[in-house]
Amino acid sequence: MMFMDTEISSEDVSILQMSDSFFPTGLYAISNGLEALSHVKKLKSKDISQFIAVYLKQVIGPSDYTALGKAYESCKKGDLTDLLNTDENLYFMRIIEETRSASVRSGNQLLKCVSYFVKNKKMLKDYQNGISTGNATGVFPVSFGVATWSLGIPKNKAGLILLYSFTVGIIGAALRLGRLQHFDGQQIIHELRPVILESVLTNIDRPISSMWQFAPGLDILQMKHETMVSKMFIT
Amino acid sequence: MSSNRIPRIGIGGPVGSGKTMLIEQVVPILSAKGYKAGIISNDVVSKEDAERMRRNLVTERGLMPEDLVIGVATGGCPHTAVREDPSINLSVVEEMELKHDYLDLILIESGGDNITTTFSPALADYFIYIIDVTGGDKYPRKRGLGIENCDLLVINKIDIAPYVGADLKVMEHDAKIVRSSKPTVFVNSKTGQGVDAVVFHIIRDVLFEATPKSLVKN
Repeated sequence: MMFMDTEISSEDVSILQMSDSFFPTGLYAISNGLEALSHVKKLKSKDISQFIAVYLKQVIGPSDYTALGKAYESCKKGDLTDLLNTDENLYFMRIIEETRSASVRSGNQLLKCVSYFVKNKKMLKDYQNGISTGNATGVFPVSFGVATWSLGIPKNKAGLILLYSFTVGIIGAALRLGRLQHFDGQQIIHELRPVILESVLTNIDRPISSMWQFAPGLDILQMKHETMVSKMFIT
Repeated sequence: MSSNRIPRIGIGGPVGSGKTMLIEQVVPILSAKGYKAGIISNDVVSKEDAERMRRNLVTERGLMPEDLVIGVATGGCPHTAVREDPSINLSVVEEMELKHDYLDLILIESGGDNITTTFSPALADYFIYIIDVTGGDKYPRKRGLGIENCDLLVINKIDIAPYVGADLKVMEHDAKIVRSSKPTVFVNSKTGQGVDAVVFHIIRDVLFEATPKSLVKN
C-alpha cells in the first residue's frame, strides 16, 4: 500500500515495552543516592539535572552501558564464558552493598519476566542457569543486555533504553521526594537528550578492559544512604 | 516459579491499622504450634517496623534468626511494591526460600497504604487486609479493593470501639454483605484478643493443616 510504513517492526514494540517504567524491574524503589543528597542540600531543578548528567557520563555510560554492550555481543556470539566474565567484572565494580544487591535483585527479576514470554533463546536460558548454579550474579546491566538481545532490540537502542530509563527513574524519585514539579521533570529529560546520546555513542564499543566509573562524591552519598534511619528508597 | 515455594501470606492495610502488631501476635502462636515463619516488612519511610519485629521476635523472644525479618524500602510506592511491580519483594522471598527451606510460611507486610491495596498473585497466595475501628463503623460498607478482595478481613482495636462511636455489629453486618462468604475476624492486637481466629484461618486455609516441617519425621 502506498502509505504503509514499513519502517516499523515488532522489535520497535519491544523497545517501547522495555523502556516503559511499567515494566517490572523494581527500579522505581532506587534513587541512586538522590534521597541522601536531598537530606543534605536543598535541591533545585538544576542540581537534579547535574546529578543525572554526572551519573550518565561517569558511571552509567562507561560501566553499565559498556557491560550491557559486551553482554549483548557475547549473546550474539553465543559465548557464555565471556558473558559470565562481564557479569563478574561489573558485580565487583559495584562498591556499595545496597546498590549491588538491588542491581542483582532487579536483574534477576528482569530475566525471569522476559523468560516468561521468550522461550527459545539459549543464551538467556544458559545465563539463568549460570545464576542458579552460582556462576553468575545477574547484575542488572548484564541481564538487560541479555534480555534486549533476546527480544531482538538493536544494541544501540538497548543502550538508549538503559540510559533513558535511568534518567526517568531519577526524575521519578525526585518527584516523589517532592524536589521537582512534573513539568520541570520533563524539561530535564528533554535537555539531557544530548548527554544520553553522547554516552551511548562514546561507550558503544568500549572493551571490557576499559570499563570504568568515577564518581566518588556520589559513592559517599550512597554510603550515607545505607545508614539513614528514615528513607523511602532502597539506595 | 521457585521449586520449593513456601506458602506466602500478604498483609495489607492503612497506616497505623496494626499490621506489624498482628504479625507480632500471630508468629508466637504459630511458633508454639511448631510452624516457622519468615517476615518481609515493606516500610514506606523507615525501617522501624522491621527493626521492632526483629527486637521483639528475635532478640527478646528468640523465636527466629535475625535474617528472617527483612525490611524492604518501597520508593514511596507501597502498593506498587506488592502489586504492579513486586520484583524486589519476589527476589527477597526467593532468597528466603533458598536459604531457609525449612520455613512453613512467609509473611509479607505491605507498607501502610490506602483501601485499594491488593497483592499480586505472583507474590502472595493469601491476602489478609486489616483495618481498625477508628475510621468509624462505615469502613466495611464503603468497600474498596482491599476490604472486598482479601481472603481474610481483620478488624482491629475493638477495645476502643465504644470511644469512637463504632458499632461492631454494624461492621460485621456490612462486612458480610460486602464480602459474601469470606471471613471477617475482630481482634485487639494489643492484648491478643481474637488473634487465635486469625491463626486458625492461616493453618486451615493457607497451610491446609499440614504438620509443621520441624515436626515431620524423615
